[in-house]
Amino acid sequence: MAYSDKVVDHYNNPRNVGSFKKEEEGVGTGIVGAPECGDVMKLQIKVENETIVDAKFKTFGCGSAIASSSLATEWLKGKSVQDAQKIKNTDIVQELNLPPVKIHCSVLAEDAIKAALGDYQKKAEEKKIGKEGAATGS
Amino acid sequence: METRSDAPTKSRALPMARSMCWHCQSEVTGEYLCGQCVKVQPLSKELDYFACFQLPRHLNVDEQQLERTFYELSRTFHPDFYSTKDDTEQTISLGNSAFLNTAYRTLKDPIQRAEYLIRLEAGAVKDIRSNPPGDLFEEILELQEDVETYQDMVQQGPSPESEQLREKLQQERIHLEERQAAMESALREKFHDWDRLQSEAEASNRHREEKTMVLREMQEILSNRTYVRSILTDLVETIGN
Repeated sequence: MAYSDKVVDHYNNPRNVGSFKKEEEGVGTGIVGAPECGDVMKLQIKVENETIVDAKFKTFGCGSAIASSSLATEWLKGKSVQDAQKIKNTDIVQELNLPPVKIHCSVLAEDAIKAALGDYQKKAEEKKIGKEGAATGS
Repeated sequence: METRSDAPTKSRALPMARSMCWHCQSEVTGEYLCGQCVKVQPLSKELDYFACFQLPRHLNVDEQQLERTFYELSRTFHPDFYSTKDDTEQTISLGNSAFLNTAYRTLKDPIQRAEYLIRLEAGAVKDIRSNPPGDLFEEILELQEDVETYQDMVQQGPSPESEQLREKLQQERIHLEERQAAMESALREKFHDWDRLQSEAEASNRHREEKTMVLREMQEILSNRTYVRSILTDLVETIGN
């Protein structure tokens, strides 16, 4: 099975590899795995004023998994948190021309995006509650 | 090896594809050779591997028994014995043999056996997906970074630093192998739980829930094992043996 040019490109020059400190303000972390193949994906977003200003990833897995997460970080940058929710695995499949056996890689990337957004929102919520608690003096 | 009261008897009754002989149209009830014309009969597509070996859906399997049955059935279906027969019989024997080989390979290996059983039973258990082991993921990603660093170092030529890192990776490897072994024995423990539940003739909700629970736990161990194995393979490839 041959990888598409886009997959090869992302694989050879992965965009946005790296990580943020999990505790850092505005950072959402999603870390997911595919139990079928043992791939692991960590995707992080940095949010300012409800806009994703930066995204990073680390993936342990095949070329398609790396390409899917690399592409995801590219797409996430500059998007609002709300728009980021709309990224679907099928968009990734289409863009990267993934064959059926590699669709699960795109699913993993979507799961990672969702997990990162969820983590960010949870953190933001907790911060709000913390502030309110401080304001009321409780 | 435990002995089983429900061990297969000499006269086998396997679910066959048809209830009528494809050749002489006489009735066949579970015989793999027609009683009338002695033509080989195709195995049912719905036959599961446990049923093929006439085993209950248990996870502790008498491997000697399994092997004996395999050889016995192999002799019946092996294409070599059908080389002088007509095309239909040759095709049937080939199909049956292929099925039998896959069934044997799957049941022989405890891990594959468990994975297969979970798949079989999964119809009754929706959403068997396990909880992602967050700590394990972090560990894997960190380890992968070390592996990549080491690969880069080696390209530059060996150095004290690369030797040091190699030593570290070697330790990690031992650690992971131990972990994998621990997972496998944990899985074996669950085999007993499953078999106990399977041999209880109960149909209560609680009983069903217990079975689902065991399946889930096994699925979780198997998933985690896949992650560990995956990084371990990479590690071994990188540092060699």
